[in-house]
Amino acid sequence: MVKQQSLAADLESLLGSDAVLPCERSVAFAVDGQVPQAVVTPGTVEQVAQVMRYAHGDGLAVIPWGGGSHMHIGNVPRRYDIALSLSRLDKVGEHEPADLTVTCQAGIPLAALRWHLAQHDQFVPLGPPWGEEATIGGVLAANASSASRHAYGGPRDFTIGLRVVTADGRITRAGGRVVKNVAGYDLCKLYIGSLGTLAVIVEATFKLWPLPKAERTAVAAFETPAQACSFAAELHRRGFSLRAFQLLNPTATAAARLAPEGLCALVIDLAGNAQAVERSYREIAGLARELLADFAEIDPATAWESRPRLVSPSEPILTCRASALPTKLPALMEALEAIDGALHILAWPTLGVVYASWPALADDEGTVRRLWAVASELDGTLVVEHCHPEMKRRIDVFGDSPPSFGLMRSVKQQFDPQGVLSPGRFVGRL
Amino acid sequence: MAQGKLVRDLQAAVGRRWVVHAPEDLIVYEYDATIERGLPAAVVLPNSAQQVASVVRIARRHGAPVTARGAGTGVSGGAVPSAGGVVIATARMNRILEVDPENRIAVVEPGVINLDISKAAAPHGLYYAPDPSSQKACTIGGNVAENAGGPHCLCYGVTTNHVLGLEVVTADGVLHWLGGRTADPPGYDLTGVVVGSEGTLAVVTKVVVRLLHRPESTITLLAIFDEVDQASEVVSAIIGQGIVPAALEMMDKATMEAVEAAIHAGYPPDAGAVLLIEVEGLEEEARQQAEAVRGVCRELGARELSIGFAAEERERLWAGRKGALGALGRLAPAYYILDGVVPRTRLPAVLRGVYEACDRFGFRVANVFHAGDGNLHPNIMFDEAVPGATERVLELGKEIMRLCVDAGGTITGEHGVGYEKREFMTWIFSPDDLAVMAGLKIAFGAGESLNPGKIFPDGDGRKFSFQGRSAIERVGPDAYV
Repeated sequence: MVKQQSLAADLESLLGSDAVLPCERSVAFAVDGQVPQAVVTPGTVEQVAQVMRYAHGDGLAVIPWGGGSHMHIGNVPRRYDIALSLSRLDKVGEHEPADLTVTCQAGIPLAALRWHLAQHDQFVPLGPPWGEEATIGGVLAANASSASRHAYGGPRDFTIGLRVVTADGRITRAGGRVVKNVAGYDLCKLYIGSLGTLAVIVEATFKLWPLPKAERTAVAAFETPAQACSFAAELHRRGFSLRAFQLLNPTATAAARLAPEGLCALVIDLAGNAQAVERSYREIAGLARELLADFAEIDPATAWESRPRLVSPSEPILTCRASALPTKLPALMEALEAIDGALHILAWPTLGVVYASWPALADDEGTVRRLWAVASELDGTLVVEHCHPEMKRRIDVFGDSPPSFGLMRSVKQQFDPQGVLSPGRFVGRL
Repeated sequence: MAQGKLVRDLQAAVGRRWVVHAPEDLIVYEYDATIERGLPAAVVLPNSAQQVASVVRIARRHGAPVTARGAGTGVSGGAVPSAGGVVIATARMNRILEVDPENRIAVVEPGVINLDISKAAAPHGLYYAPDPSSQKACTIGGNVAENAGGPHCLCYGVTTNHVLGLEVVTADGVLHWLGGRTADPPGYDLTGVVVGSEGTLAVVTKVVVRLLHRPESTITLLAIFDEVDQASEVVSAIIGQGIVPAALEMMDKATMEAVEAAIHAGYPPDAGAVLLIEVEGLEEEARQQAEAVRGVCRELGARELSIGFAAEERERLWAGRKGALGALGRLAPAYYILDGVVPRTRLPAVLRGVYEACDRFGFRVANVFHAGDGNLHPNIMFDEAVPGATERVLELGKEIMRLCVDAGGTITGEHGVGYEKREFMTWIFSPDDLAVMAGLKIAFGAGESLNPGKIFPDGDGRKFSFQGRSAIERVGPDAYV
């Protein structure tokens, strides 16, 4: 307790009392049940650097904190002294609409950035699986993507620059502010998806898109995932104005009431030029009719609402994200269902991504091991994104170490030799 | 002699036939499309990833740095060997190992020519999107090293957006798989940092690329303007209208004159600039965009407007652009091609600055570039034989790079840093930024054993590079941009 007080006092003298939260609020910043000794909310990038220099000097463990919506991803931290909240770094910086780029601070909530850009008929295709309170920095750290990745690519494709604070408190830059740039190593790729283990992201620059002129969303129902996936592949091949696909297994479909009992719902999301969207809709409806598949337009809100209900971390559930080649996706879905029929499965057929979730139990370990085996048999990967805290202590949520783990370990050692940043949370407990 | 032992070891690893070591044969590998030179001790043509690994281990044992080389069409000196080093030429590793149409990926060896991937994918209605103008000659390994771009990167992104996984050999001679074939494999995105690392982190031995479906409809427009400023305004206006074309290219008066003399594209002699705009998608979308583009061009004073729908018509409209650099070779004994990027809205001002600087230095300049991305390619024409001309061109190039950086841009959009631009890295990156980057070299265990002297400004201070006629003759008229 004495130590805790002195840490908070040190940080207060460093940053001012308004940048250190009262001790009783620390509980809200717990990660996997571990409560930090202090929570700081720096008001400037320089203050972030000061915190890191202080932590680095004293060998304290820091976990960067955005909106807190994705903190369940990652292994149990090995140590956790300071929660570094980016919430006060929430400004939109340079935005020249005609350049189709924007720079913003990492702590800005996604919804706020989206609102700002919409004033200019633009958007950035970021969309985490859950929570509009998610911040830009958090979404990038988790490399969280949305189903619209089908059309726009993921965060690594449209993030053109980052400013980060290194583990030892240096403010550095990667990339730039122009849409094309090959000067030096592309460190943005490395920071995105590194889960706060290499550096603290404090600012990001994105490529933007004009808002689509027209949108329509439909749902088609199929008897098997294989049928739904081949339908999606066929629509993609025909070049329709597709923004996203989302496929639900029968359990999830029934829960979301998207199609009759026993069927898989395929949500088909169209966006683009009005005439092209209309034609796409018409022809897709025709193709669905030929296959005798139920097809109906739905309110987009209803279609996407199904998602948070399935994968919301606010309930005690177990959620896995698996990837496989698109052609192996139906087999992956079937194999997952064979392990437990009560699983809710949500998949992005053209991307080969699957989310599976079910009520979490402390003794799910055996099930998870079977899931890993299934994914690996199909040459895919599987990450446990959310699970019972007791179980989490016993497993590496990322599964077996990836083939190039040795290089990854060297990267971590190089960027954070003292293990100051989110120690233990990444792949192989880096 | 040390070289003799090195050569013998290499011969033992890959076979006598596949090690080039006679001085007269080595000269061929001395340079790329820049005139930078470095005479290697040996050039090895391995046939497999395992052989590449052996070669890297042998070179390491002998303390010889390794430079990987594709077609040698690079324009920043990326493939120029270190004197006394070992060149790994990927010419024999040119197999397309797999085309998986259903998953829209291909697995290829690094020596495969860029265009050959699209040819192999064509029967399935698929293609590989990044299209550097040298795509008939350049290899995918070189594209990965330099993170190559091309005219159609405006809409589809550069090489890095199309590479899913890599097999590489690190400096210790060990094979690694980075990334893979599926989305987001767990771990750090090492694929993303090796792409564009100019051969300094690892030698690439296999590449998994993403393939795209051919769009239903493609429409090409060609608009001619009296003034460059008008054309620049059209570029901003198109983007401002919410249209992101597949390609948006500009050529200025000097380029048009050269093209006219070479291939008679039909450009009027008194015109100031031409824009080539390509839109794609479902027919409805492409037509609507083409109509909007046409409207913008007319409104902002285009004096002539042509439109092509069928493949032959479109090829005719592209002919001038594709032949532009070859045509420029006729105007002067040598030219220095620059590669800078500025925010799109700064294009008119920076272009004016480029002309002003060239006037002041007394050199002719021809601009042919990816206007939609704000990616400039000023080509400065000069005669190396004139005493002092080379130094003055360098000075001018530096000033133009400075203009780009001052406008909020960068020193290279698609050609890479190589030797050429190392010293400018400090304009856009702080010593700390560069130190963090250099940390990756340590993490990969590369040190100075892989393609030393590239990218980082603390190298041995070689001179800058130029593109001469000889380079153009080697790789064809439409290389480089």
